[in-house]
Amino acid sequence: MLVGITLLTFVLSHAVPADPVTASLGEQAAADPAVVAAFRHEWGLDRSLPAQYGIYLWNLVHGNFGVSISTRQPVWLDLRQTLPATIELAVVAMSLSVLIGIPLGVLSAVKRDSVLDQLTRVVSLVGTSMPIFWLGLVVLVVFYARLGWAPPPGRLSATLAAPPMITGFLLVDSLLAGRPAVALDALRHLVLPAAVLSTYNLGILARLMRGSTLDVLGEDYVRTARAKGLAEGAVTLRHAARNALIPVITVIGLSFGRLLSGAVIIESVFAWPGLGLYAFRTATSLDFPAIMGVGIVVATVYVLANLLVDVAYALVDPRIQVGR
Amino acid sequence: MSASLAVNAAIRLTGAVLILTGMLFESAPDACAQALVVGANFVVKSLDPARTVETTSNMADHSIYDSLVTFDGEDLTTPKPSLATDWTVSPDGRTYTFRLRRNVRFAGGNPMTSVDVKWSFDRVRYLKSNPAFFLSSVEDVLAPDPFTVVLKLKSPNPALLPILSSSSLGVIDSKLVSQKGGDASPDAKDKDKAEPFLMAQSAGTGAYVLERYVPDQEIVLARNPNHWRGAPKLERVVIRNITEPAAQKLQLEKGDLDVATGLDQDQMRALRGTAGVVAKASPAATTFYILMNADPQIGGPFANSKVQQAVRYALDYDGILALAGPGAVRLAGVIPVVFPGAADPRQGARTDRDRARALLKEANLGEVKGALTYAADATIFGVQVNLLAQKIQADLAAVGITLALNGLPRATALQLYRDGKNQMSVWSWAADYPDGQNFLVYAPGRTVGKRAGWLPEASPEARELAQIAADAESERDPTKSAGLYRKLDERLSQSGPYAPLFQPAVPYAFRSNVQGVTFSSVWGVDFWTVSK
Repeated sequence: MLVGITLLTFVLSHAVPADPVTASLGEQAAADPAVVAAFRHEWGLDRSLPAQYGIYLWNLVHGNFGVSISTRQPVWLDLRQTLPATIELAVVAMSLSVLIGIPLGVLSAVKRDSVLDQLTRVVSLVGTSMPIFWLGLVVLVVFYARLGWAPPPGRLSATLAAPPMITGFLLVDSLLAGRPAVALDALRHLVLPAAVLSTYNLGILARLMRGSTLDVLGEDYVRTARAKGLAEGAVTLRHAARNALIPVITVIGLSFGRLLSGAVIIESVFAWPGLGLYAFRTATSLDFPAIMGVGIVVATVYVLANLLVDVAYALVDPRIQVGR
Repeated sequence: MSASLAVNAAIRLTGAVLILTGMLFESAPDACAQALVVGANFVVKSLDPARTVETTSNMADHSIYDSLVTFDGEDLTTPKPSLATDWTVSPDGRTYTFRLRRNVRFAGGNPMTSVDVKWSFDRVRYLKSNPAFFLSSVEDVLAPDPFTVVLKLKSPNPALLPILSSSSLGVIDSKLVSQKGGDASPDAKDKDKAEPFLMAQSAGTGAYVLERYVPDQEIVLARNPNHWRGAPKLERVVIRNITEPAAQKLQLEKGDLDVATGLDQDQMRALRGTAGVVAKASPAATTFYILMNADPQIGGPFANSKVQQAVRYALDYDGILALAGPGAVRLAGVIPVVFPGAADPRQGARTDRDRARALLKEANLGEVKGALTYAADATIFGVQVNLLAQKIQADLAAVGITLALNGLPRATALQLYRDGKNQMSVWSWAADYPDGQNFLVYAPGRTVGKRAGWLPEASPEARELAQIAADAESERDPTKSAGLYRKLDERLSQSGPYAPLFQPAVPYAFRSNVQGVTFSSVWGVDFWTVSK
């Protein structure tokens, strides 16, 4: 997998019709052959492409992701600083989507054609079709600028010093450092961007759960459960919803991976220093080591997310056993 | 579970959620009222002054490292003493002797002497990094005594003093940085290892020290209490990366930002007249222009001088200026009007579409078609380049020139531009130092001239313009120098492969309780003068 991802990322990033020299050196510097030569030598760009790839792979298997051309830091350090920020955002956003979307979908299916059902379908449509950039700005204007309920963009108030980085998750690191006020400030800053980021998946999950539940509610075993005298609540929760969850879990897994790389818009609007913004900036700067690092991380997260999906299947459906 | 117990539990849970939500929306404690919070769209590659020329890096380094000379606020015409108290220039213009200020210490406590100046300048020369070109005319740097620095030049360079104001030429504590792996020998580009240290801490004499740098997030500067001008008024400066201009505007209005430097014209329009906010624009030493390739193989019809002239007459300059925003100034030539020698804007080409059509007819090329390349994702000093490109397309369509818009990501567009492969493109050129010399690059055979396929051997006129540029570059008499620059600029306004457009103004805004904010297009905000 490592060779596949790194080779694909390497080939694609070098296929771009632009040179890192152009992205990194100023106008006057780029016109000086000595400066260009020094730059290429410093970043190993004066070697052949196979040699560059080979050196990168060799370093990678020894745990060295290289140094970012744009931040001048080791790439692993950049990733350590940015990935937790995006994971924190993505986990909260996905939690909101799941905790609201799934029950809404179930209720909507159970109360089909009711006012709640109509409302759910509207919410689902709005959530999936609303441009997230616009929604983010509107939410900022309303809740931050006009109502004053939310803090300004960013992970932490400008007047507070960040806690020492242990996990990279501000909420966790603040508590570990014994600074609950900072944790609360970090949580306040997380609410709006996570809420906005959750809207698309919330719409998808509500819609999907509704459809899946409707399918399941028409199954024979559900009719049997009712015939056996079970309360409607037990039929819905213990039999229908649980089975309806199976296709939804797949979508949750795929959505989480997409959240990580797609958070760039939210991170831009809310000044959230996460992986999305880092990926965008390093890609436009042709920062090859950073691009490769991001590719590896995102691919790994996708694989892990799908592994968790497989495990979740086994928990939801006892007929499915992981490893057999 | 009975219904009453369930209801009870639901009430308690709801109450807990409401309390938590209320706590979430309480304000965080204000830990430091004396911090100035600045919003910027970060362009930072390094904070090592010898390796960077980027805007945000310059803004931070200007407050951390002092140079030999400086300028006051937004006045970029008269160099003022800084670490050098005075200087003399030899009659042949090749030797500059600077007397250093005494009793200046670096923030770490080491005294500043000529050894540090020599070391800092040699490091810039031998690192062969972005700012190396600043000292390309310097042959040697001498330190004959602790408070005298001598620069020996290969040939006269009248722009040396403005060049020396750059924060890239800030003086570094050589003793400290050498201990941290710094190297100023001719092998510096291979041996120097001080960059990581200078990205985390600083080693200058400036009003502030680098407290913390988190890439893509913030640069935090802390007061240097032992600064030679006296301690600055602010205890701390926090420069935050806020890429979205609308978010900067909102935070400025709410008072969560004190200064916003990454605003667009849309935000500026909204901010003017907003209570508690001062919205300003500072002249930028930058030229926006259209480039037409003079090489017929690449430029096609745009290599034809009559077509080039027609383009200049076809443009709606008033409309283009409106796009550029308040404070922008029409340019006749390529030199911004902030510099002596710029052609009078009133002498620039006027919109005259009948004349443009007549010139196209004279060119006898039939239908004139082409592609306009530009950086589609770029906003430069509040000017959205994609909107400018669309305006140019519409203006030229009005006289029968059909342009396809070729908007590309900045890195790709820049590559084509630097390779000289643009048939037609719209770009800007910003001064790296406050002198009109920056704009000699437009002359035939120089940097931009080459990108436009315009070489001295192209024609007698091109050869003559190349000579005027060479004469202007070495002329030391200010009056004669301004005359030569003006001659070049006026000629470029009437002929050649460029259509000069405007000099932009840098939009910025700040809270009305903040005093002393200025914005120089070379180093941004000077935090020494700011208080609140």
